[in-house]
Amino acid sequence: MSMMAGTTNKDADSGRVLCLMNMITPEELMDADEADEILEDVKEECVKYGPILEVKMPRPTTGNRQNNGIGKIYIKYEDSSSAKKALAALAGRKFADRTVVVTVFGEEYFDVNAW
Amino acid sequence: PDGTKKRRKRNRWGDTTENKAAGLMNLPTAITAPMTAEQLDAYVTHLRVEEISQKLRINDVVPADGDRSPSPPPQYDNFGRRVNTREYRYKKRLEEERHKLIEKAMKIIPSYHPPSDYRRPTKTQE
Repeated sequence: MSMMAGTTNKDADSGRVLCLMNMITPEELMDADEADEILEDVKEECVKYGPILEVKMPRPTTGNRQNNGIGKIYIKYEDSSSAKKALAALAGRKFADRTVVVTVFGEEYFDVNAW
Repeated sequence: PDGTKKRRKRNRWGDTTENKAAGLMNLPTAITAPMTAEQLDAYVTHLRVEEISQKLRINDVVPADGDRSPSPPPQYDNFGRRVNTREYRYKKRLEEERHKLIEKAMKIIPSYHPPSDYRRPTKTQE
């Protein structure tokens, strides 16, 4: 991997995609209106830490309820400094009476929906 | 009348400074170490079990106004006391969620120990 040096970010934990966990249940996502509201609430808060490129919230579909991404929300920021700020601010906050857990998520996986 | 869609609930985010149960469980919520999807799933399961346990211990079970669902019709016992109080209903809901999570944790986490105040529900309960 030494050939990659200089072309990749050396700081391994400074990605620009975040994964928010322990916020929502698959049951809440079954209700389309509720799911839309959740997404709205999340976007509204997350944009406070910097411009967002894309938000993904995998929803249960018939025949696919075991998707690893269900119950998580993924946020892709324009830059890693915004993601870092958001991670520090959102971790431990309450969302619908549950404590938010945040981690950095691989952008290459985010782009192809590999949850 | 103004044409905008009326929201059913308030914003789900809690206040930035208030999270009693999380403060007591003392578990990291900002994960910066690389973890596999399986490890994250196990960790979040464990954390939610601890969170529910703390909520039950400090009796912080009833959500804030906007997060509550509509109340069912009241039920009374033989002495005329209401049995399905708000507190009772939310407590029961959390206990059921915790039970399911503990069953899952025992399958996915080697040598998992449930919280000391957890009692497995007996089959006779509905």
